[in-house]
Amino acid sequence: MARSRREEGTPHWILHGFLLATVLYAVYPVLWVLSIAFSGKQSLAIADLPADPTKLDRARTVLPWPAHFAFSNFSSVMTDQPFARWMLNSAIVSIGATIVGLALSLTAAYAFSRFKFPGRRFGMMSFLVSQMFPGTLTLIPLYIIIVQWLGLGSTLTGLIIIYATTSIPFSVWMLKGYFDTIPKELEEAAVMEGAGPGKIFWRIMLPLAKPAVAITALFSFMTGWNEFIQAATFMDKEDMYTAPVGLRFFVGGFQQQWGYFAAGSIIVSIPVVLLFLYLQKYLVSGLTAGSVKG
Amino acid sequence: MTTPRPPDPRIRFGLGLLLGLAVALGGGWTVVRGARNQLEDDWTTRRATVAANALTSLVVQAGDDAAVRKLVTAWQETHPPGTRVRVIRGTTLEASTDPADTGARAAPRRLAREEKPLFDQAQRLRAGADSNREGGAPKPELEVEPEGGARQVAVPLEADGKVIGMVQVLVPAEPPAAGRSPLQAMLLFLAALVLYVVAAWLLPPKTVLLAAVSTVLFCLATAFFIGGELRDLGLAERDGQRALARTVSVEVERVRALTGATTVDGGAWDTDLSRKPHGLVTGAGVVDREAGEAEAQRVRRGALRSLLAVAALGLVVLVLVGFGGASRAGRALVTNRQAYAYTAPAMIATGLLVFFPFLYGFALSFTSSNIYNTNLPLSELWVGLRNYGAILGDFGFMRRAADGHWVFNYLNFYWTFLFTVIWTITNVTWGVSFGLLLALILNIKGLAFRPIYRVILILPWAMPNYITSLIWKGMFHRQFGVVNQVLQIFGFEPLSWFDHPFTSYLTALATNGWLSFPFMMVVSLGALQSIPADLYEAARVDGANRWQQFRAITLPSLRPALVPAIILSVVWTFNMFNVIYLVTAGEPGGSTEILITQAYKYAFQRYQYGYAAAYSTIIFLILLVYGTFQNRVTRATEAL
Repeated sequence: MARSRREEGTPHWILHGFLLATVLYAVYPVLWVLSIAFSGKQSLAIADLPADPTKLDRARTVLPWPAHFAFSNFSSVMTDQPFARWMLNSAIVSIGATIVGLALSLTAAYAFSRFKFPGRRFGMMSFLVSQMFPGTLTLIPLYIIIVQWLGLGSTLTGLIIIYATTSIPFSVWMLKGYFDTIPKELEEAAVMEGAGPGKIFWRIMLPLAKPAVAITALFSFMTGWNEFIQAATFMDKEDMYTAPVGLRFFVGGFQQQWGYFAAGSIIVSIPVVLLFLYLQKYLVSGLTAGSVKG
Repeated sequence: MTTPRPPDPRIRFGLGLLLGLAVALGGGWTVVRGARNQLEDDWTTRRATVAANALTSLVVQAGDDAAVRKLVTAWQETHPPGTRVRVIRGTTLEASTDPADTGARAAPRRLAREEKPLFDQAQRLRAGADSNREGGAPKPELEVEPEGGARQVAVPLEADGKVIGMVQVLVPAEPPAAGRSPLQAMLLFLAALVLYVVAAWLLPPKTVLLAAVSTVLFCLATAFFIGGELRDLGLAERDGQRALARTVSVEVERVRALTGATTVDGGAWDTDLSRKPHGLVTGAGVVDREAGEAEAQRVRRGALRSLLAVAALGLVVLVLVGFGGASRAGRALVTNRQAYAYTAPAMIATGLLVFFPFLYGFALSFTSSNIYNTNLPLSELWVGLRNYGAILGDFGFMRRAADGHWVFNYLNFYWTFLFTVIWTITNVTWGVSFGLLLALILNIKGLAFRPIYRVILILPWAMPNYITSLIWKGMFHRQFGVVNQVLQIFGFEPLSWFDHPFTSYLTALATNGWLSFPFMMVVSLGALQSIPADLYEAARVDGANRWQQFRAITLPSLRPALVPAIILSVVWTFNMFNVIYLVTAGEPGGSTEILITQAYKYAFQRYQYGYAAAYSTIIFLILLVYGTFQNRVTRATEAL
């Protein structure tokens, strides 16, 4: 131990000092939002400044601790404001899109992983290239299709359809990567026992791929839960907003309801932050693996 | 496995000719029928417009409202039964020949409550006329509603250069023109097939020969068909022009009879929706030769373009079927039916809502589409590469401001591109260096609280980035923002962060730097932990110092994980819409706009859809070039 201490060179208290400073940088915005959420006011200042502020007064406004604790922002954002409705919209859209998107991706990923057929490489490559389509290019045509042709503007169905299809390429790549790791011998054994391809898929592959399916589903859910631009474009009516559009509504334009925004942000973030902390190791390996294969 | 022999080439090319001609002639016939119906509709509208404009010119001259009523009644009598006229001035129904407007409801009277749509229509026409007088994008100041074959035309009523009301005329339907039979197309179709059968019977069954014969027959039949259809369309157009001229001269006669005027310019009554004369009919009620020829040419050229496209499609069918491509594709479809059935749902869904929108957007980029002309077909808005030329060929980096000073032209593409590149490089550099530094520290064995630091430092990545962006925007607020309070504690003046390009850029950098370093930290940490400890042990035995160990062991081991992570984060940062859009919103004056937010603003704030689509296509091409480049780099690093 002594030797390693000498070799590391830098004393640990300097490292801890540096890490604590970084932690402050990482955590401060979160604490700031928390203190505004619990302040019970709509102002974006944590504490009010007196007419002739001293440095101490200013320091008070920087300290992320509300002047008095109040739960009112949380209760009124859920009751007086349509935020509960927006959360429900977000939940329906994200869950719906996840189910539809997964159902479509699963069979496709299986076929891409197990069958050799003309167009296989082309299909996978086009899915990859589609990840580079700039959202602004497809937004206008999507608007024409969904709103003008199908008449699904400001409906949950319209948004579910969009989120589900746009999630397919990523999901297929993730799932195909996992299917590739399942040994072929298992299926061959099943074929020997007389199982058809449908049975193999449902009875053998799906149960084996359960972890990958769960991860892909959670990512798909989080993408829908956090999506902002498309929801802002397609949802015109106020009671059809999703949570991101609604949060932006609180502080965008002439609205300055920072208290509602802060309380809403915390409610919206808690599930995704927890999910994320749980999932991040899969995310890193999945993303970088896909990218290396190119 | 044995592949079944493809069928006899004679049969293949025969089938190809049959299907190809069916597409070319059948499709072509449908196209021409649509074009003729459209033409018929347009002529009906124009004749009705002439009648409405003629009446309006009378009403304008008539003077008091009793005279107007007398005039309208007289006018009605000279027109076929079913014609109906309403004159509205302000909120008054001044004259009406509607059978419902008799007795208690007879004109003149105030408009009733349920007649609000009439008032609204007059207001719309007035707004259109006023806007056109001021210049700007042409707006309709005539409204034509088709009611079956009948047309209801509303024309603004003007006095002293001001719109004071409206004349609404319902022109009844005329007997429909006789439909055309597809006999000619069918005869050509049969003739081509019969000739092919004879030729195939006489000639040796050589693929090249049969391909040549069937292609020649296809081209001949299609050329005859297109030639005939275009001639007929030209004749129909000429008939339409003559009928219009007849209507004009009849109306001129009626106006003369009613007013006793000797010089009446009937040609000015044939107008488009913004009341600009088409200039097709002269004042004397005769078709202007040149203008008529030009209009006929335009109609024929439009039809020719569609017919050629359909014919090309037919030729593709012929070639595909003839050379066996179609049968091979069909066999592949049958052999791999399971694979295709499994992939079909995903392929169809993404095809419709990912790839089709992409292609549609790509097509939009060659048009002048904007919010005013969305109802027109793309082919009429085609401008070729003009949008790309306007974006890439604009080198006006500076422009004169209103006060005469030279200022940066932040709307210029190259400026935005430069800013995007700077934005990407600074962010990724910051993310990599800070993330790597943290990872190196957190990888030190024996450092206390490592897992706690690690979880807390991932937090910024876990927060939804639109929330992060809005939080940071709040913290940079001029008056209440935390950042300015800190500045004031240390005795500095508070800054208006979003009023200067550089400080505005710093706010976005702070936000994105905050949310992007944990990704690099996690990636580097994972790679560091996978380096076997005995490598360092061996290096130490060889007497390498810590810097040498870092260069020789740590960096090379990090590369396989870091390179793809950097590539990904470049793409993410390049397209980091939320941070720019929500934090700086491009302020001040678009200087902190990146390409993707600029494209969004062209589409959804300036409503230049075509231009925005071209802008987005350029972004896509940049990413595609980058993508192929990254592929090479990754391959190269894998080989190391």
